[in-house]
Amino acid sequence: MSTLAGEFKSAYSAGSGDALAAVFTPIGTQNKPYRLQSFYDFTNAASLQKDLSFALFHGKSLKVPRAEQTAWVDIFAAYWEAVGELLKYEQDWPGASLVAIFTAWKKVANALIRGYSSSAGIPAWTLPCLYTVGKYLRTFAINADIKAAPQGASSFGFQDDVAADIEKNAHLEEAARIINRMFTLCLSDRAPMEESRKWGIYQTTNLIFKTYFRINSVGLTKNLLRAINAQSADLPPLEAFPKSHIVTFEYYVGVIHFLDENYAEAEKHLATAWSMCHRGASKNRELILTYLIPCHLVTTHTLPSDQLLAPFPRLEKLFRPLSNCIRKGDLVGFDKAMSAGEEEFVKRRIYLPLERGRDIALRNLFRKVFIVGGFEEAKEGQTSLRRTRVPVVEFAAALRIGTHATGRTRIDMDEVECLLSNLIYKGLMKGYIARERGIVVLSKNNSAFPGTGV
Amino acid sequence: MSFAPWRATASASNPTPAAYPSTATPAYIPVQARRSLAYNKPTPATNGADMTPADATPPPRVQFPPAVRSYVQRCFAPENKMASVTAQEMQEKLKFVITDAAENNKLNTIDWERLALPQVMVQNERNKILANPNVSNWGMPSPSSPVDASRKRKSGLNQDAETHPWTKANNNTRNRFEDRITHPSTEKRPRMTTDDSSKSKANLEMRKKRFEGAGANYGSASPVPSPARSPPVDQGPVIGRCQTLEKKYFRLTSAPNPDTVRPLSVLKNTLDLLKRKWKQEGNYGYICDQFKSLRQDLTVQHIRNEFTVIVYEIHARIALEKGDLGEYNQCQTQLRVLYAAQLGGHPTEFKAYRILYFIYTRNWTAMNDALADVTADDRQDLAVKHALDVRSALALGNYHRFFQLYLDTPNMGAYLMDMFVDRERLTALAVICRAYKPDVNIRFITEELGFESDEQTARFIIENSSAELLEEKNGSVRLLTGKAGLLFEQAKAAAHAVVDIKGQI
Repeated sequence: MSTLAGEFKSAYSAGSGDALAAVFTPIGTQNKPYRLQSFYDFTNAASLQKDLSFALFHGKSLKVPRAEQTAWVDIFAAYWEAVGELLKYEQDWPGASLVAIFTAWKKVANALIRGYSSSAGIPAWTLPCLYTVGKYLRTFAINADIKAAPQGASSFGFQDDVAADIEKNAHLEEAARIINRMFTLCLSDRAPMEESRKWGIYQTTNLIFKTYFRINSVGLTKNLLRAINAQSADLPPLEAFPKSHIVTFEYYVGVIHFLDENYAEAEKHLATAWSMCHRGASKNRELILTYLIPCHLVTTHTLPSDQLLAPFPRLEKLFRPLSNCIRKGDLVGFDKAMSAGEEEFVKRRIYLPLERGRDIALRNLFRKVFIVGGFEEAKEGQTSLRRTRVPVVEFAAALRIGTHATGRTRIDMDEVECLLSNLIYKGLMKGYIARERGIVVLSKNNSAFPGTGV
Repeated sequence: MSFAPWRATASASNPTPAAYPSTATPAYIPVQARRSLAYNKPTPATNGADMTPADATPPPRVQFPPAVRSYVQRCFAPENKMASVTAQEMQEKLKFVITDAAENNKLNTIDWERLALPQVMVQNERNKILANPNVSNWGMPSPSSPVDASRKRKSGLNQDAETHPWTKANNNTRNRFEDRITHPSTEKRPRMTTDDSSKSKANLEMRKKRFEGAGANYGSASPVPSPARSPPVDQGPVIGRCQTLEKKYFRLTSAPNPDTVRPLSVLKNTLDLLKRKWKQEGNYGYICDQFKSLRQDLTVQHIRNEFTVIVYEIHARIALEKGDLGEYNQCQTQLRVLYAAQLGGHPTEFKAYRILYFIYTRNWTAMNDALADVTADDRQDLAVKHALDVRSALALGNYHRFFQLYLDTPNMGAYLMDMFVDRERLTALAVICRAYKPDVNIRFITEELGFESDEQTARFIIENSSAELLEEKNGSVRLLTGKAGLLFEQAKAAAHAVVDIKGQI
């Protein structure tokens, strides 16, 4: 305990929120692998409160208001119990369980929330504690869910229907509710900005986003965004927050838009996250790119360069085959690559936008048809023009490449027209189909395939 | 009773001089008083520490559970102090509560977390004695309020010697609100009083009245926190005793009554009856209601087997046929869970419906989940493959393929596709009008967009755009694609406006 109390005292007198949060990190550190054990051993349930308040606040070194002292003692008391559960579990005691750890840690979180919201008034600079406690609450909840899943203790309540799919995430949902209270705690603080808990808003939001994503309730994130937007006038500007908060926040907002197929908006947020993300944070950069690349494909029809993908072998594997096929206009290869990567794509929720890459592949293929069509005979004194009247059958022939055309796979001319009309509609091709004559009339003046030079 | 050596120094640093005179007051019984005052000193540095439960609770040889200890601690906590209740009164009450609990072996059965603090009990008793009918008094036991002061005077409790100036000062500022919010806990106290065997009969009577009074008072101010507030969470499955086949659906608001719940054997007959009735009468309102009560009976009895799956599947199909997508979606959600439990049924058929349903609702997040659910084996299934193809055709705008698939839909998928086929026709027309110039034969539209006849096509075009787009030329009707402009674009946007289905998740 002497260690932990010492850490608390020095962190508190230094006014360092991060150091204070480290006190509530329920793991042994490299220097002090047994810090939890020694904390737990220093007292017993009977004299817990007494020993805590002595160890934390005795002496003149720390000037903490009385009510706040009581709050900290309560928090540490809950922390002590949770540490007890953790140690019991680590040492395989009978009766120890991941669920018990979660339940005990929940009390830590609640004590902390109470400390902030009640008259005890724990100051806002200690907010990193809130985040750390919330972070571990989420971790412990996930562990508890894994543990509790096979038992399937279902409470049917008075529902009309049998199912409760939700049960398997019962603990995590409970954690989400508590973290949600942390969110409200930060957002609704009316203290002057210098000492407001509003500075913790994005960090708690990130935590709860993460939790909602995990329990597959992405829809709930909208409520949080709405709440933040409603308060935006009272919040400090984004730039004023630490980058670490903002990168994660922008990433999640980007992904939320992404899932709504709102790619333009998604790209904006993801690009912000990408540009602010720390160079060394390879995993985060990879995550951002996982969504930014498909976004870019949909909005600007551009593919990732080799240079961009080089540092990320996993992304390379995910996107390289696909973008090669798109570049070449290889539809058969594209379809193969899509079905080969389907499981991973669906898991990452990027299947639907990537699928749209087929349009680009198709455009590239038809563009080749156009180029192969060559030039009209040049009239005297004029530069020769490309042949802009292309028979539909030529496009059909291109589609047949690589399909081992037998009678069965023969391509329906109406379908070719349908693909052509879609490209025209989407602006990937300029021109029109003259159905009766069976030709496509493409735009002259190097604008038949906008943005590609021909 | 040991005082830590550091205590003396800590007390010395105490800035409130009031504590010393009170220690010196001779009117107290030595040990009791000394202790009480020491605890109530507003000494910021030490108070929390020297409140060892062992010290505070009178008979030290009993081993007190932690809940009792924390209860005692709460009693002495400065923020729970009430100006109108002196420390001594509070301690006597506390002593009584604990001794009583210990003597009756109730230490482990009482809910200490919720038990009212002794000061609250004392205050309540007084309030009762005063028998003040005015409810507002109850809500404001604020120590500084004139009502309270006069009450104290009237009550004739000559405790002046013990109302120290600091008690008041301490309370005015902080505790008014806490006082108020501790009151609901008095509701829990009847549990405690029933155990009071040592108390005199008169006293019991009085307290009983007080509780009634408190309950009544409280009820007028806010809803009574009856047991309904925290219902018994899960009493296990109900075993039904009802033998009638039909039952109207009624949404449960309390635990089900076994007399109105039908057991499985009866439900099986019910299903047969409903199937027959649906075939003969086709009264959807009646059928839907009956199925809902059927589902409810299954749920409250925790019946989760093949029969459950059949019930949900049949209800889902009927709802689908009648286009009741809200009800259908409820069944679908349940079925997904039931299939996951491997209870039989037709999982691929409904997986296919599910994909089509999400196309209709355009819920892409859910669609992604649905796709994740499809296994390689499922892909071999005709219906699943069809649904996946439909999805991909639409995603790529391949209306040609989409309408071919529409005309060849397995199972009851066509009912779902009917829901969005017109929407997709408008999308396709918008594309066609942009891509084809100057016009197309209406025959082409009929074939491409799966219409039954040119007349139907023409009617559809006229309804959604304008008759001027159709022109007769060389014995055939032609759609003037070049003149359509944004007409179909607007119609498409309107058709794609948010789909709102009740019961959708």
